[in-house]
Amino acid sequence: MKITEEIKISDNGFVFNSKTGDSFNLNPFGLELIKQIAEDKDFESIRDVMLEKYDVDDLTIEKDFYEFYALLKYHQIIAPGDPLDFK
Amino acid sequence: MPKQKLTLAVTGLNNTDNPGPGVPVIRGAKESEDFDIRVIGLVYENLEPGIYMEGICDRIFQIPYPSSGSDELIERIEQIHQQEKIDVLIPNFDAELFSFMKNEQRLLDSGIHTFLPSLKQFQEREKDQLAKYGEKYGVKVPGSINLGSVGQISEMEDKFDYPVMVKGQFYDAYEANNEEQVKQTFHKISAKWGFPVIVQEFVKGTEVNVIALGDGKGNTIAAVPMRKQYITDKGKAWGGITLADEKMMELTRMLIQKTKWKGGMELELIKTFGGEYFLIEINPRIPAWVYLAVGAGQNIPDALIKLALGWDVKPMTEYKIGKMFVRYSSDLIVDLEKFAAISMNKEI
Repeated sequence: MKITEEIKISDNGFVFNSKTGDSFNLNPFGLELIKQIAEDKDFESIRDVMLEKYDVDDLTIEKDFYEFYALLKYHQIIAPGDPLDFK
Repeated sequence: MPKQKLTLAVTGLNNTDNPGPGVPVIRGAKESEDFDIRVIGLVYENLEPGIYMEGICDRIFQIPYPSSGSDELIERIEQIHQQEKIDVLIPNFDAELFSFMKNEQRLLDSGIHTFLPSLKQFQEREKDQLAKYGEKYGVKVPGSINLGSVGQISEMEDKFDYPVMVKGQFYDAYEANNEEQVKQTFHKISAKWGFPVIVQEFVKGTEVNVIALGDGKGNTIAAVPMRKQYITDKGKAWGGITLADEKMMELTRMLIQKTKWKGGMELELIKTFGGEYFLIEINPRIPAWVYLAVGAGQNIPDALIKLALGWDVKPMTEYKIGKMFVRYSSDLIVDLEKFAAISMNKEI
């Protein structure tokens, strides 16, 4: 699932949806997550990267990831789809 | 190439918390690459801030309210014209448009160019006609009912759930959550703007707007979509941002093409969470946030002046996405002489 083309992501964590006019501030963890998603990586690859970079356990990563993913869908940052279908 | 000298007359210098479009129209016009503009500010009140702002108007004249009669207004414009030789006039209030549209030819005969919608175009988009308009042009509009008396509120309650939007013919819109609020708003609006008072079904979603310019032949010369980021208690945008929304652009081009809209306009839309667009209002003139369009790359006042003069203007299709405007308030320090001049002599 890809980030829609109207989304602009700045290196400082500022995300702008040019279709809706919404903007969001991400913390470094969120920024890292959205960048990984933008690269069209699957959940397992993203989890491995995050486990390596941050002091966090497997379960927390998974929970945070799907919560974040649902938020991205809600704000039309990624196209609607079942998060469980995420590749 | 030297710029062409041009005298532009503009109304709507009331840059208050409910701003008129006059000052931003002038700012845009002054940025024209083709015209060297001399500005004649036309005001109704002697405390319109545009009178006192530096670098906006070269001359100021007070004009009578259109409610005093079209003839009185036009005669005053002709009198100013004799003195100042106005090339183009851009009226910026809904309430005065009727007088200027009706006298378009008379003004042109004396050398004053305008670029206004026809009476038919103006009337068919009026708030109390919006349902018919939506049906005719294939646009979704909220259900509405025109109230002539409070006795009709029960009829309205049969059609719509609360909340509803209660609107005046020209200006003002309030959300009402119960019968009592509808009654209060009905009296407030009818006292100010007359009848009917329009009650509109409340559509949940995000308010988005498009500023556009039609050439009267079906072409969209300019169009920029915007979302209000900060809305005042008067419902006015205090901040806004340009959007990349092709559906809004398509809707605008379709309406201008079908109606052959002539002049500036603003479409007010609600985008629902399901991605549907409901047209809630069409303002038949340039809106007060026009300078955002200028900043985003479409100088609508400049293009409108060219159309008024009969120039061939090519459609502007590009604009910068994510450009923002933020309004501010500021205290102008004014010498009493200026206030005295406009109050006593009706001109500066």
